[in-house]
Amino acid sequence: MSTTTAERFGPAPPPPAFTVGWQGWLRMNLFSSWSSGIVTIALGVALFFAALGGVRWLIFTSDWAVITDRVPLYIVGTYPREYYWRPEIALLLVSGLMGMAWRTWGGPARGFAAAFGALVFVVALIPYQMDVLYRALLLAVPAAMAGGYYCAHFIPEQSRTKWFGITGAGVLIASLLVIAGFSLPGIGSPAGLHPVTESEVGGLMLNLLLAAFGIIASLPIGIALALGRRSRLPVLKFACVAFIETIRGVPLITLLFMSRHLLPLTFPENIDVSLLYLSGITITIFSSAYMAENVRGGMAAVSPQQSQAGEALGLKQWQTTLFITLPQGLRNIIPAIVGQFISLFKDTSLVFIIGMLDLVEIGRAGLSGKIEYSDNGMEVYLFLALVFWVFTFSMAYISRRIERTLGVGRR
Amino acid sequence: MQDDQPAAANGMSKSDILQLPLEQRDDIIIYEGVHKWFGTFCVLRDINVRIKRGEVVVVFGPSGSGKSTFLRTINRLEQHQRGRIVVDGIEMTNDIRNLDAIRRETGMVFQQFNLFPHMTALSNITLAPMRVRHMPRREAEEAAMQLLERVGIPEQAAKYPAELSGGQQQRVAIARALAMQPQIMLFDEPTSALDPEMIKEVLDVMRELAATGMTMVCVTHEMGFAREVADRMALFDEGMLLETGTPEQIFNNPQEERTKTFLDQIL
Ligand SMILES: Nc1ncnc2c1ncn2[C@@H]1O[C@H](COP(=O)(O)OP(=O)(O)OP(=O)(O)O)[C@@H](O)[C@H]1O
Ligand SMILES: [Mg+2]
Repeated sequence: MSTTTAERFGPAPPPPAFTVGWQGWLRMNLFSSWSSGIVTIALGVALFFAALGGVRWLIFTSDWAVITDRVPLYIVGTYPREYYWRPEIALLLVSGLMGMAWRTWGGPARGFAAAFGALVFVVALIPYQMDVLYRALLLAVPAAMAGGYYCAHFIPEQSRTKWFGITGAGVLIASLLVIAGFSLPGIGSPAGLHPVTESEVGGLMLNLLLAAFGIIASLPIGIALALGRRSRLPVLKFACVAFIETIRGVPLITLLFMSRHLLPLTFPENIDVSLLYLSGITITIFSSAYMAENVRGGMAAVSPQQSQAGEALGLKQWQTTLFITLPQGLRNIIPAIVGQFISLFKDTSLVFIIGMLDLVEIGRAGLSGKIEYSDNGMEVYLFLALVFWVFTFSMAYISRRIERTLGVGRR
Repeated sequence: MQDDQPAAANGMSKSDILQLPLEQRDDIIIYEGVHKWFGTFCVLRDINVRIKRGEVVVVFGPSGSGKSTFLRTINRLEQHQRGRIVVDGIEMTNDIRNLDAIRRETGMVFQQFNLFPHMTALSNITLAPMRVRHMPRREAEEAAMQLLERVGIPEQAAKYPAELSGGQQQRVAIARALAMQPQIMLFDEPTSALDPEMIKEVLDVMRELAATGMTMVCVTHEMGFAREVADRMALFDEGMLLETGTPEQIFNNPQEERTKTFLDQIL
């Protein structure tokens, strides 16, 4: 007699009713025991009253004029009105880059680009007094994205990531130059653009510029430092360790202060490096020391057998690092890298210490500038928190998506 | 260099040499009085052995006896500290050019497969030919597909190691080593991380490889495979090469008491 086990004993019994459905979920997660039931109810009551207070404040007390009257300030600081087209050109360049990313990776890049394009498009339609040209440039963002998407078509698929990196760096530098238009020593003003003064580059634009610059530059520098620290050459190793540990031992605010007051003493007298560049470089240096430690940790987690396998195949040591251990090490630390980018973005608000008007400083200036705004601190800081949260949350979201996509090849 | 080669092997092409009986072929691996220490611990003690071109040698012995270390001195993943090692006419020195040449002569297969987890099976195989031999991608991929066919899994080319069974991973690893067209293949317990049903598929590939005249040094305790495929077996114990002989001699008439007790333990 050959019957299967299921035939002999009949179908398996269903799970007990109290573990399935929404009742089951409630019971298991919120009321699994007396004590957890009490905690759930207490927290529920507290949340209810907090929400009630919040809604009441929102409807009856809050006054958002401190935000709505000063929208351009929050976005671009005191940037001269007649040059608004310059940041907008930079925005178009970045949009083109996003289109390129859309084509290269699809998935998370597509979601992000679409959300961003839609957001800008909606903002451009808000009936707010704005020159026609500036509004048109904003409305062109989806077109720029489509352009980037189309251009990526001409790059062979395997080298798209590489070209995305190269274009990205180019776009960043171009944006910086177009927006600031600072004259460079020996060259003069790029493309004959009228330079703006450094305090005129401000608002969210300043935070984004500094963060983008810091993020893009600190990753390769951090990798180089980490490789140096792992090197067998004692002098190189020592130099990297000394650099990393020195920078990590000093708060960013101190470094910024030093960059403002000490660093210029080391430059030749006729060269005047803009505060914008100084702060960008300082933030990059600060971030790359932490990045180096992340990368080192990630590479230490790669089994030494991996590099032996590479060696046994005849790869040179640098090839083994470049093709085998480094990619695996970086993949190990995607969450750490993104975490660092998030804190770097938030840290950009510290540049107020050297007199730059970033988003937070613009908000603070609004509160202290006019007597009728002085009671609106709540609105301002809620708004600032929301803006920072939107950006950091998007970064965290993209990171999770990347992890999931790359997860395919993991052990 | 050819001082200690049999006269018949001089000036012959490799395929001609493989037509000769074993004892008339040239020595592709020569160990003379080789010692190695880890700190003060002597892992390899006075190893003397000559392996002929196309010979299949199975290395066995208790855990910690130095089998892996012996294998890894053949492609210089480990350096020896006394004695002389010559692989296909290349003397092991600290000369970096010699090192590159040795790595080109030898392919290695590990117990834990050690595939690169961030690359597909195909990219695992094409990496070294493209980066070391500067083969164009197209050509490297064609060669890789042929190798995957040879190990019986061409349909797995686009998969990542994590998506493959242990046996499939080990076969990709063999294909990866073969892609560099080595003269010698080194296997370090290639089946001991595998489930029984997968062991056979890997051993089959190794069996076919042996039939093509590849020189193979295998650390393994698959005694059925050894009996069938090995030309010679070598027992390691406490860093010493205690006994070598044909499978016939080792199984039926071992000279050393240690060989007999060890075989009794594992058979
Ligand atoms: N890198 C190392 N540093 C110090 N000791 C080592 C090192 N590698 C191996 N050993 C020691 O050398 C001895 C021989 O190791 P080896 O790996 O060659 O043994 P094996 O015969 O392959 O054993 P197994 O069957 O367990 O793989 C062991 O005692 C081991 O602990
Ligand atoms: Mg071993």
